[in-house]
Amino acid sequence: MSKSSTSTHLTRGRATVRAGAALLGSALLLAGCSQDLGPTGSAAPPPETATVGEATGQKPAPFDGAEPVKIALVQNSGAGDYFQQWTNGARQQAEALGIEIQVYDAQADNARQATDMQTAIGSGVDAIIVDHGQSDTMCPLINDGLDAGLPVVIYDVEITACAPKAVETAQDDASLASLILDKMTEDIAPGSPVGYVNVLGIAPLDRRNAVWDEVRAKNTWDQKFFVGEFTNSVATDNAQLVDAALKANPGVAGIFAPYDELTKGTVSAVQQNNLQSQVKVYGVDISTADIEVMTAEGSPWVATATTDPNAIGAAVVRVTALELAEQLDSREVVFPGTLVTQELLKQNSIQNLDQLRAELPELNMTEVATADWIPVVSF
Amino acid sequence: MAVPEVKGPQVDGDGAKADPAEKVTATAPSPRTGVRELAVRYGFIAITVVLFVYFAVAEESFRQPSTLFSMLKFASVVAVVGLGVTLTMVVGGLDLSVGSVAGMSVTISAMAMVFYAQVGGVAIAVVLLAGALVGAVNALLIVVLRIPDLLATLASMFVIMGLKLVPVDGQSVSSGMVLRDGSVAPGKFTPDFLAIDRAFIGPVPLPVVIVGLLAVGTWFFLTRTRWGRLMYAVGANPEAARLAGVRVGRYRALAYVLSGVFASIGGLILSSRIGQGDISAGNSLLLDAVAVALVGTSVLGLGRPNAWGTILGAVLIGILITGLTITGFPYYGQDIVKGIVLLLALLFSFTLSRRRSRYAPAAVI
Repeated sequence: MSKSSTSTHLTRGRATVRAGAALLGSALLLAGCSQDLGPTGSAAPPPETATVGEATGQKPAPFDGAEPVKIALVQNSGAGDYFQQWTNGARQQAEALGIEIQVYDAQADNARQATDMQTAIGSGVDAIIVDHGQSDTMCPLINDGLDAGLPVVIYDVEITACAPKAVETAQDDASLASLILDKMTEDIAPGSPVGYVNVLGIAPLDRRNAVWDEVRAKNTWDQKFFVGEFTNSVATDNAQLVDAALKANPGVAGIFAPYDELTKGTVSAVQQNNLQSQVKVYGVDISTADIEVMTAEGSPWVATATTDPNAIGAAVVRVTALELAEQLDSREVVFPGTLVTQELLKQNSIQNLDQLRAELPELNMTEVATADWIPVVSF
Repeated sequence: MAVPEVKGPQVDGDGAKADPAEKVTATAPSPRTGVRELAVRYGFIAITVVLFVYFAVAEESFRQPSTLFSMLKFASVVAVVGLGVTLTMVVGGLDLSVGSVAGMSVTISAMAMVFYAQVGGVAIAVVLLAGALVGAVNALLIVVLRIPDLLATLASMFVIMGLKLVPVDGQSVSSGMVLRDGSVAPGKFTPDFLAIDRAFIGPVPLPVVIVGLLAVGTWFFLTRTRWGRLMYAVGANPEAARLAGVRVGRYRALAYVLSGVFASIGGLILSSRIGQGDISAGNSLLLDAVAVALVGTSVLGLGRPNAWGTILGAVLIGILITGLTITGFPYYGQDIVKGIVLLLALLFSFTLSRRRSRYAPAAVI
């Protein structure tokens, strides 16, 4: 194949070179343009814009100087709806505080997150936020950052044991589970037969499990089945498991499935068995797609407990600001959940997250991690 | 790393002169071809330098020496795996299994230490052996069973990707995990193993030193030894090499075994960097490694796979990714830029170069 092209190459040589040079020129031009996009990735799609609250207090050091405070956000992954919103929240809160934020996105590559963290430590920033990641990978590097005198704030990485000086933040799984199980306690009589769909061994689901064990014992609910598995398509695969469990135990009054993919699988299994009038489903998390499932005609998903990723990103930046100003007295900050009922969604004809936020301003967590000098953003 | 970059062209150029095939294309340069020759030879290095200067001027944090080193560290895995790919390209083939071999090495090293509580040295030895074994199987498929390189290594890539998950039940291996029989894994990643990625020699991270040494070794092997030159001969024209009495099969087999070993060294660095048997490790490595080896064929205007070209290609990708990340370029834009760089390199070696590129991937199939 290469031999035949050699002979034609000689006769066409000059034209090919010209075409090549033209292509080269345009490619260089393209590359030149793309580098002018500016420092904060203005090529990103327009995200939800925040309303910035008013700050009344005097800015403490280091926010009172002429030089802007710089922080790095070292993310395991910034892709997908959830993390796009999370990062958006962080960016908007940073902007409101006059912080320059540099985002490192490892694209779910753990090795790359390690080198990103190293770059961030040496890059001359004032603090680092680590969003998700493997504790085996990140812990030594988090300690390197702390040793270099940088405050390090973690979101959802297990580090308490290995990096006790870092500030640990997380969604409050216990509060999420309590909120939704309080609702379930109102609806389901003590001693009733119930079902449970969960996967143990995943930290946040384990924490929700602990609350379930307690509440179930208190209500003397009779747990008829406990199924669940973590796969590439959680909702579909768990629908089959729950389907089988429901066929064996059709009499259950309620099912707790504390993660929205599990909840969706459970909902479709209940519907397959035509049990939606008898079985109520209780979940955790919400997305626009989940709202559609919850508000569909005859949906058994009656309530869910959730947090808003935009608000969490913003709150993590506020925690970092407080830590920089030496006003954070705890090493651990948790973000509380909010209860969302099917009734509320239906009454207010809520179809997406924006409408939900408008209806439930507490999703913004404006009271969490704040001070009078911090202009709190809400979405 | 700057020193070998500058050294590269002269030294490798000398090596090229010793190759008889080189003389065929040598003609008296006119001024115009002189400029073109210059562009072909140093254009890519110039682009690298310009990019580097641009990022250094534009971003304060890019100027920090630690950023330079973490950038080279980032490039080290792609560079070492790319060196292996380079060797297979030298003999006229391509090894598509390198990414999966690196991933397999991460799992095997984690299993050795976490499941079987072995010391770091044992884990390293087992990984290198496994890498050589995969290379040998590839060689068997290609040389003895005469399956085309791309197809054979594509098949082995899939087999390895699946096979490595069997003993770990598809889970990432980390210390303290619960095993199949319900007991807790006895071992953990040992400090000496973690030092592969985390230690420094002076200010230079150890993986950068390792890759530097491997690059020197590969360069020496390819241009200064009889074996290396015969590998180029096999790649240029296997039939002619065979008629000249070269045992073509052995040289091709050697290239695949070495490629497997290089990929497993890349896996060792990855494993030490991640600190656990991450099952997704190495997923993105294949395309990057092939890209840097391809970029490498054009970098010094040699038009053939070579060690310093591959290293320079990896450094360029490292500069690009780190620079673009620091300037806040969105992640999806980085792949586009990577693609444009690859295209530029191919333009240099196929379009602008007077010399016919000796590596044409399409010719492999």
